[in-house]
Amino acid sequence: MTTRAPTRRSIHWLDVTAVLGIGTALGFALLTPAERTQGTPARMLYLHVPTIWLAYVAFVVTLVGSVAYLITRRMRWDHVAEASAELGVLFTGLAVIDGMIWAKPIWGVYWTWDARLTLTAIMFFVYVGYLALRRTIGDPEARARRAAILGIVGVLQIPIVHFSVIWWRTLHQPPTLLRPDEMQIDPPLLAALWIGVAAFTLLYVALMRHRIELARLELALHEDATAPAGPVAGDAVSAPEVTAGRSRS
Amino acid sequence: MTGRPPFWPQVVAIARRDLARERRAGEVVWITIPFGAVALLLIPLAVGTNENLLRDIGPGMFWVVVLLFGVLTAVRRTSTETPAQRDAVALLGLDPAAEFTGKVLAGGVMLLGFEVLVGAVAVALYDIDLSGWPWLLLVMPLAAAGLAELGTLSGSIAASLTAGPALIPFLVAPLAIPLLLGATQSAEAIRQGDSILSWILLMAIVALALAVAGVLTARPLQETR
Repeated sequence: MTTRAPTRRSIHWLDVTAVLGIGTALGFALLTPAERTQGTPARMLYLHVPTIWLAYVAFVVTLVGSVAYLITRRMRWDHVAEASAELGVLFTGLAVIDGMIWAKPIWGVYWTWDARLTLTAIMFFVYVGYLALRRTIGDPEARARRAAILGIVGVLQIPIVHFSVIWWRTLHQPPTLLRPDEMQIDPPLLAALWIGVAAFTLLYVALMRHRIELARLELALHEDATAPAGPVAGDAVSAPEVTAGRSRS
Repeated sequence: MTGRPPFWPQVVAIARRDLARERRAGEVVWITIPFGAVALLLIPLAVGTNENLLRDIGPGMFWVVVLLFGVLTAVRRTSTETPAQRDAVALLGLDPAAEFTGKVLAGGVMLLGFEVLVGAVAVALYDIDLSGWPWLLLVMPLAAAGLAELGTLSGSIAASLTAGPALIPFLVAPLAIPLLLGATQSAEAIRQGDSILSWILLMAIVALALAVAGVLTARPLQETR
């Protein structure tokens, strides 16, 4: 069995663009005028919104990869779903942590039993469960099929998390970008926010590319390890055939 | 030679098989329901026995117990099948979607029984206000249906995995949050005199989405097992 050789480690233009994008976003986040009521702590907005946005995007991509895998049975779609779920967990974790850091100076506590916070933490655990399921199954195809179903069902959480701040009276502010009614944010702040979202999205794409490649290599390694053994020295030597008490070689 | 039987007779046959197995083993009646009642007894020991407090938290505690302990109906021994049993079902040519629906039907009946019996214990222990109780006739079956769908889906996903019994509750509990919210917020809305239609709608949409997901993914799951 032949396996495609690992690609040479190289810096891709996406990696460079992502790093430059994050640098630009950081610059805008620090240089944009401070928000009127919250002041400097409100700059966490430029980190918090992109991270939670990417969590949503990542889990929707997991859904797309899962559905596409079940339809086509091509492992590349499972790689997409797996990579995106891992990044989704990473960005959800980051969103919870940077949200807690932002909450401390504004609300006075790191954690409060706010609907958005609690449901985001629960969404995090839904996809930790997805990753835990993947780790318990050795066979790649069985793993892909079972995980795909969980990847489809898990996405039910996203609209509930997103609209929780509208459905319940909570401490958390209403959605900043994806809200049903009009925007309520000044243009310079909004521009910095969009730059942050774009930069983090680039980072997500760059990380996806690396993680998908890693998943492909893991699969190739598994296939090599489980492939039937090839011919070994001595295979050509056959046992002598015994007929009527006499051997014929 | 006759063709495959129609969908609903297959569903009923699977549901009857699961209920018969449960009736013989009595796992839900003798283990899961008493376990839920014990949980309801333990909570006041932890949070205090103030009657007003218990009356306030009673409905919420009831639904938490339904969610956490109801999940156990999905990991009961009688719901698990040996590889030989699964092969036999597959060779019989049963429609995987009918198998899923039948298991959900049986699981839903067991969960509804769980809700009613543990609910009676909760009312007795916490002195829960039952005004607006007719809505429960809608909320309880919807919660049972949603949980049964989640339990059956997770049970199929984790079938024959050594980590399955630990994994299933972990998969179901966070996914059941919309059902928990719908049920608890309905109780709260009734208490406040508000409409509960939006919460009923949330539960119905989630139950419907899970049913569609379960039916559409039944065949790939059967291939995996």
